[in-house]
Amino acid sequence: MNARLEALLATSQSAWAAEQGSGRVRINVCLDTSSIAQGAEETIAALKGAIAAKNLNAEVGIIGTFGFCWLEPTVTVRNASGTQTVLYANITAGKVDDFLQRVVIEGVTAPELALGVVEGTSTADIALLTDHPFMQGQVRRVMANIGIIDPENIDHYIAKDGYAGFGKALDMSAEEIVKEMVDSGLGGRAGGGFPTGRKWDFLRNATTHPRYLVCNADEGDPGAWVNRVLMEGDPHIIIEGMLIAALAAEADEGYIYIRNEYPLCVRRMEIAVKQAYAKGLVGKDILGSGKDFELIVFRGAGSYVCGEETGLIASVDGYRGMPRIKPPFPAQAGLWNKPTNVNNVESYANAPMIMRNGPAWWSGVSTAKEKGTKMFTFSGSVNWASCVEVPFGPSIRECLDRYAGGMREGKKFKGFQPGGPLSGVVNGGLDLTLTLDPYREKSMFLGGGGIVFFDESNCIVDMCKYFLGFCEAESCGRCTTCHGGTQRAVEVLRRIESGGGREPDVETMQQLARTLVWSNCFHGQFAMTTIKTALKEFEKEWQEHIVDKYCRAGVCHGLIEYRVASQSADGMADAQAICPTSAITGGPGSYAVDDSLCIRCAACKELSPSGFEVRHRFALEVSEAAAAAG
Amino acid sequence: MAADLTGHEQAPGAAPTLAELRVLVAEFQPNRGHVMPALHKVQDTYGFISRDAVEVIARQLNTTPALVWGTVTYYDDFYEHPQAKTQVAWCSGPACRVLGGDRVREAMQQILELPLGGQSEDMRVGLRLGQCNGTCSESPQVWVDGRVVGNLTVASAIRLARELKSGVSAGTPGAGAQP
Repeated sequence: MNARLEALLATSQSAWAAEQGSGRVRINVCLDTSSIAQGAEETIAALKGAIAAKNLNAEVGIIGTFGFCWLEPTVTVRNASGTQTVLYANITAGKVDDFLQRVVIEGVTAPELALGVVEGTSTADIALLTDHPFMQGQVRRVMANIGIIDPENIDHYIAKDGYAGFGKALDMSAEEIVKEMVDSGLGGRAGGGFPTGRKWDFLRNATTHPRYLVCNADEGDPGAWVNRVLMEGDPHIIIEGMLIAALAAEADEGYIYIRNEYPLCVRRMEIAVKQAYAKGLVGKDILGSGKDFELIVFRGAGSYVCGEETGLIASVDGYRGMPRIKPPFPAQAGLWNKPTNVNNVESYANAPMIMRNGPAWWSGVSTAKEKGTKMFTFSGSVNWASCVEVPFGPSIRECLDRYAGGMREGKKFKGFQPGGPLSGVVNGGLDLTLTLDPYREKSMFLGGGGIVFFDESNCIVDMCKYFLGFCEAESCGRCTTCHGGTQRAVEVLRRIESGGGREPDVETMQQLARTLVWSNCFHGQFAMTTIKTALKEFEKEWQEHIVDKYCRAGVCHGLIEYRVASQSADGMADAQAICPTSAITGGPGSYAVDDSLCIRCAACKELSPSGFEVRHRFALEVSEAAAAAG
Repeated sequence: MAADLTGHEQAPGAAPTLAELRVLVAEFQPNRGHVMPALHKVQDTYGFISRDAVEVIARQLNTTPALVWGTVTYYDDFYEHPQAKTQVAWCSGPACRVLGGDRVREAMQQILELPLGGQSEDMRVGLRLGQCNGTCSESPQVWVDGRVVGNLTVASAIRLARELKSGVSAGTPGAGAQP
């Protein structure tokens, strides 16, 4: 191995060992966007304040998330002797004093708050974290360091074998690196599944310099935050992956394009890149190898289609981020019309371990056709919003029960959406697996890792209006098929929702779907997927809306109305006071809803559940029949 | 001035002078992908991108104001006008949506009397569309000056909007805020 890298490794390992053997209790707080939303910054302030005030033998650090995003702030505590580290959930600022009393002053554990033992042996009252029900079926590879290391400390990363994969690649030829990548079977992690190694080979075969690498961290699919977890928890794994790609493709400069909605990712990646420069891992004459590679963190500004590679390239170039016609492909003409390779965050992040452990080890984890592990996030009408890493293949049912905590109380499972606003919706589908094919068969796709569950209180027409509205707003405007087509689709959906559905509307939308596939980029080509799949999967619900003017979920504004159900119900005065449009007229004994003012926000029904009811305006007989049928 | 998570200073302020703008963007170079970074720097410093800033950036980067202006207007996160002091971003994500987020938006818009992207006349409160960032355990949610106010009901969102509109706060919006 490269001698300078060996020296770096030795330095980092001794720094890590010194920290481990400090003789102090080490409290690491998960500090990421999800935990900050739940009070992690306040927890850190409270911990530091109390430790200083009481002069305790403890120190506070930061980590990324173990994926228990619904139980933040999570905290790990390593005991003073360094023999055991325990992960705790929900350590909010208010719990800090009591918590410190036990884990530092008394030197015991707090089993009722514990999720599991991260390092060391299990005890009578705390099992190993790997035995936690949420961790079953998970294989933490890309996420191996997350929760263990400080994402803002390069020594931590290096001490955990970081940059060793790059070290190995330094001793290999470009062809050999590409071969290992191709042999591994790693497919693009944004959902396309195109072999990453082959993409690198395209760039390697380019004939000019400079050539560029781009890391697509514009994770724009709402409901997916796997790239965020990675950037916030282990930023160096991405840099190392890009360095390996730079060797394989003989690239000169790299850009990490991060969406503006992820400010903490921008900060963590900027810190990591700066540290990598300082250690000589990036820049001129890397580790004395004679190879140069510059790396730039680039901040987006709120545009979904900049996640499309040519849109992203236009954005870095400084133009409106509008995808353009391919070919030429970025490998021929990308940034500044020079050869460019664009990969997803997670694709790059898999490269270091493929180098370290070899393609056979890497691909051996999965029995599915898709090799390796994949990160997923789960959210929606479920109990837990979580992030996991699994080999491809678990069923949606397993994910719902094991990783999302089942449906929320009172919510009945209806279906789910994999991947984002372009990828379609599934009715039921609990037996589908997290692999690429089942969705391709439905003309949908699995996407970048977000899975959103919805329930019977969600209307499929309303969901289509939501996703098409997103596609309309985010259309770049280049293709008429896309910007005009999405606009037309939204108009039709609005009319259906307000009670003006007509039978030819279905054919109109099928026609739009057939037209939008002629758009130039994925955005237009797949904008109609939600409607296309929804028309097939939820055919009856469409007929109810269009023919019967009946919204079974009680969502579509024009098909429902709010009425007073009981004058004597509790909370009627509160309901009248909360109404944002003063639509509730009268007083005790004479309350009424003025339908011309009501915006169907349901605030009144929240405060007086039995005082108000949702009535179906045009289809009373249908709704009554449906109610009778159960 | 409050620093946001990127460490950049956020300041809603008066329009900068040409001289101030020239100094601010002096580090940026033509043909190096510096249009977006220059725009970010101007907005992080002054809270919006003035017409003067467009011309100064264009000259510094050896391009045209039309191209820079095209970039400004393309992206949702660049503002062409000063923004109100307190910004409420409504999360438009799917987890929020399936848990009643759209009703939260409709009710808050009624109270604040603002469209998405609107600023109150006295420039105290602005309302924006926010994109999902994966804090879905707090759905439905809004972000008040970047701080999550989550697990909203429509009623609690209405109360929050009324507080924001009247300027009288019954609680501290922020982490762990409960309906």
